[in-house]
Amino acid sequence: MEKYGIGQPVRRKEDARFITGAGTFVDDITRENLAHAFVLRSPYAHADIGRIDTSEAMAMPGVLAIITGADWIAEGFAPMPTKSAVQTKIDGSKLNQPPRHPLAIGRARYVGEPVAFIVAETRAQARDAGEAVEVDYEEREAVTDPAKAIAPGAPRIWDDIEGNFCLDFELGDRQATDKAFEDAGHVVTLELRNQRVTAVPIEPRGAIAEYDSATGRYKLHNATQNVHANRAAFAGVLNISPDELHHIAPDVGGGFGAKNSGYPEPPLLLHAAKKLGRPVKWINDRNESFQSDTHGRAQDSKVELALDEDGKFLALRTATIGDIGAYCWTIGPFTPTAGSARTQGGPYYFPAMYYTSRAVFTNTMPLDPYRGAGRPEASFQIERVVELAARKLGIDPVELRAKNLMPADSLPRKTPMGLDVDSGDFPKVFGRTLEMSDRAGYAQRVEASRERGLRRGFAIAPYLECTGGSPKEFAGVKFAKDGTLTLSVGSQSTGMGHETSMPQILAATLGLDIAKISYVQADTQATPIGGGHGGSRNLEVGGSAVVTAANEIIGKAKQIAAHLLNSSAEDMSFADGAFADVKTDQSVSIEDVIAASLEQARLPGDMEPGCLDTGAIFEREVISCPNGCHAAEVEVDPETGAVQVVGYWVVDDFGTIINPLLAEGQVMGGIAQGLGQALLEEIIYDPESGQLVTGSLMDYALPRADDLPAMEMEFFEDAPTAKNPLGVKGAGEAGCCGAPPAIVNAVLDALAGDGVTHIEMPLTPQKIWRAIAEAKT
Amino acid sequence: MYEFRYHRPETLEDAAKLFSECGDPLFLAGGQTTLPVMKQRLASPSDLIDLGRIPELRGISLSGDTLTIGAMTCHEDVARSADAKSAIPALAGLAGDIGDPAVRSRGTLGGSIANNDPAADYTAALVALGASVHTPSRVIAAEDFFTGMFETALEEGEMIVKVAFPAPRSAAYVKFPNPASRYATVGVFVAGTREGVRVAVTGAGPCVFRAGDIEAALEGDFSADALRGVSVSPDGLNSDLHASAEYRANLIGVMTRRAVARAS
Repeated sequence: MEKYGIGQPVRRKEDARFITGAGTFVDDITRENLAHAFVLRSPYAHADIGRIDTSEAMAMPGVLAIITGADWIAEGFAPMPTKSAVQTKIDGSKLNQPPRHPLAIGRARYVGEPVAFIVAETRAQARDAGEAVEVDYEEREAVTDPAKAIAPGAPRIWDDIEGNFCLDFELGDRQATDKAFEDAGHVVTLELRNQRVTAVPIEPRGAIAEYDSATGRYKLHNATQNVHANRAAFAGVLNISPDELHHIAPDVGGGFGAKNSGYPEPPLLLHAAKKLGRPVKWINDRNESFQSDTHGRAQDSKVELALDEDGKFLALRTATIGDIGAYCWTIGPFTPTAGSARTQGGPYYFPAMYYTSRAVFTNTMPLDPYRGAGRPEASFQIERVVELAARKLGIDPVELRAKNLMPADSLPRKTPMGLDVDSGDFPKVFGRTLEMSDRAGYAQRVEASRERGLRRGFAIAPYLECTGGSPKEFAGVKFAKDGTLTLSVGSQSTGMGHETSMPQILAATLGLDIAKISYVQADTQATPIGGGHGGSRNLEVGGSAVVTAANEIIGKAKQIAAHLLNSSAEDMSFADGAFADVKTDQSVSIEDVIAASLEQARLPGDMEPGCLDTGAIFEREVISCPNGCHAAEVEVDPETGAVQVVGYWVVDDFGTIINPLLAEGQVMGGIAQGLGQALLEEIIYDPESGQLVTGSLMDYALPRADDLPAMEMEFFEDAPTAKNPLGVKGAGEAGCCGAPPAIVNAVLDALAGDGVTHIEMPLTPQKIWRAIAEAKT
Repeated sequence: MYEFRYHRPETLEDAAKLFSECGDPLFLAGGQTTLPVMKQRLASPSDLIDLGRIPELRGISLSGDTLTIGAMTCHEDVARSADAKSAIPALAGLAGDIGDPAVRSRGTLGGSIANNDPAADYTAALVALGASVHTPSRVIAAEDFFTGMFETALEEGEMIVKVAFPAPRSAAYVKFPNPASRYATVGVFVAGTREGVRVAVTGAGPCVFRAGDIEAALEGDFSADALRGVSVSPDGLNSDLHASAEYRANLIGVMTRRAVARAS
């Protein structure tokens, strides 16, 4: 039993299924009489839509229905909701939120925006018919760059929204910050970009909708990260009660935020399924995914750091323009505002900070959270400006950082951004990372690289981040007569391994065999509420809900145990899967108590069979603050600009580690995506036409296995948080926070001798080569 | 993908006959370009004629100094071939570094050179080694075979049967991969042959080409040092998202020096 306890590297129960191709993803599901949908998408970034002639397409073989924007509006459906936690501008007025319908209404505002929805007997027939739909487009001037979008004279994306402006935002003490800058010994300023990227989950989005005319209920199998919130969103659009929609996510092949939100296709599918009286399936292809999955990052920032004469940080001032695309989407306005503000300044001690930002519309695919949603951006901003300050002031970047980390005895501390940092030891984690990275041997490694014609660089990047997502979670446990039990939780794994980690928590708390626990998630009928996936929230709120449920079960089980032992519940102790009478030492196993709980004859009179079945809700009061430190060593080939990350070290403080295998997997995956952001990935729209230039994997560079270094990682577990019963801090997004600054700063360290001080991400070979060439002249 | 008819002839004659009878046919070799392009609906042949069952299109043989590779031989087979590795190790190495294992197990020599993608690897090997392309009716020198971007000297319906490579004294291929596609942003094949030093460049221009200035510099002194002072002009080179013409010109110099160092 011990090996399934908290902290054990339990192997993933779901892997056998995934590795052998036995998972059930949306596209693995089929139905009798299934029809297939195709989304006709706008080929223009900005165009008025005149007449849409569907007559020829409707006459084609197998075509069942074609829905246009005009058809949709005629049904009286509501727009898709925006649920950003930030809803007002600095002046208190409401953010500018244009209506977002599943189909473009009268005007297309980004390449890939749905224009018509075609349903046919086969997918190929639907696509054939899509090519026969005649749409009169009148092209308009497009604007894809956020700075240009807010400049005077820019094309207006929404007629009633001036300056393509969604909202502005501020946080922190502006006056105190400005004063600190006036008095500062040094001010270092850096303008930088967290470039637009996309998640590229291995499974594209897709869904199957069904409608039962007998009951009037809908069913939706959907590759989503959040069945409950999206059920509410889709029901709202269709003017039905959420109870009328059963929303299920089967196995989902990666999300990273790109499957969080309310997309256009599911309401269209639900409507079509009802209209046709047939189940309808739709699966996005990879090219469509680049156009129509929400994008991430896309922030241009001016970061200013004020230091005193000795290099102590006095204040940080950040001004960001956040591109949110053509619509507010689901929580698009949140990321460049509060999402990026909270962790400004990272793990450093700042007496004053001020963050301000503007969210701006452009003729591009809208933004929504992408792994980290603002925290990786903030981490990159602070770490880059600190690195630059060290070089400008002639201080060792390692020393400058060490000098300014929040000391352990300064915690708990509320940062000037209002973040409640309750636990951790940043200097210790920083020091351990340095130790792991073998600084003593570095000079020799630099020399060895030099002999091979390569430049070697090193950087260390401590980070501070925070969790997010819905604060409430439900866990339910049901016991069966055969000794098995079912655990249902409202959070969702899209590959993170909840099927293992959540039963592990339950098994450890109840002292049961993990093999007896089956796991259910992402089904609106299985849990009354559910916050799905996002914000590294699962262990913190989902895991805590499991503990809460388990403790309730133990409380009830004590009454049964007492009854079985002719004792009283107050005298029952519970340890190692057995209840014991503290007075008599008589004991009974939990398995036996569970068996008794299902038989009236063995229960106390006031309890009924099934009385151990439990549903519990945990609600987080304050978000936790995962933190840690990354360090990277890179080799740069100055002749080609190619970079290889050759060393990587991480120490993470995620509080208590439930399963180190899974935690390491989260860190590695986050580093891979962070490396992608640092060196390879960028969504590029043509500035003139607004066409998506990086619309396939031939042009959008994802990291491959051979791009990644071997990573040495450790966990610092001496500072669990008291914010939740497990003491966990959330591990899912941390890798993305540490990797971009560690890798970018290491490359710039390698190029310091060449006189290169800044290169915008991604640091591609061409950009590095050019920067070296330009620094020479 | 649009609908099409699929054929799998077992002789060259049947394949040719089918081709002449179909409305808008395409030969299918490994399908590593044709199938994705069809899936994206950018190509819509009426008929696909799969050449995979024709025995004389397969196999690798070494006779004297000539390595002959059947058109339908997949890259993985070339990479693993003892004959290829002994006669022209640079060619076996090139084949083993195309795409990924799935591509190498399906993609073929004939399919690659018939497509003549500007960033394909094999084209550089054929031109640098002075290979000859055999069709059922004629033999075409590699330099005459590649005529332009995605264009070759093949007539409508003409198939490639095999390619004959004379073994060089020494050779090497070095490429700089596109970070996204891993096709050659620039690939340089250098070969010391009986006719002298030959240097072919792929990925950099619209079609594989020989680098005359570099060949001349290497003729008397086959060493990386001989290339000092030889500058490559960006004129006429490709420019795209991942590499400007200037960057490609730089890469031609760097890849050539590395190839020469490896070959010498």
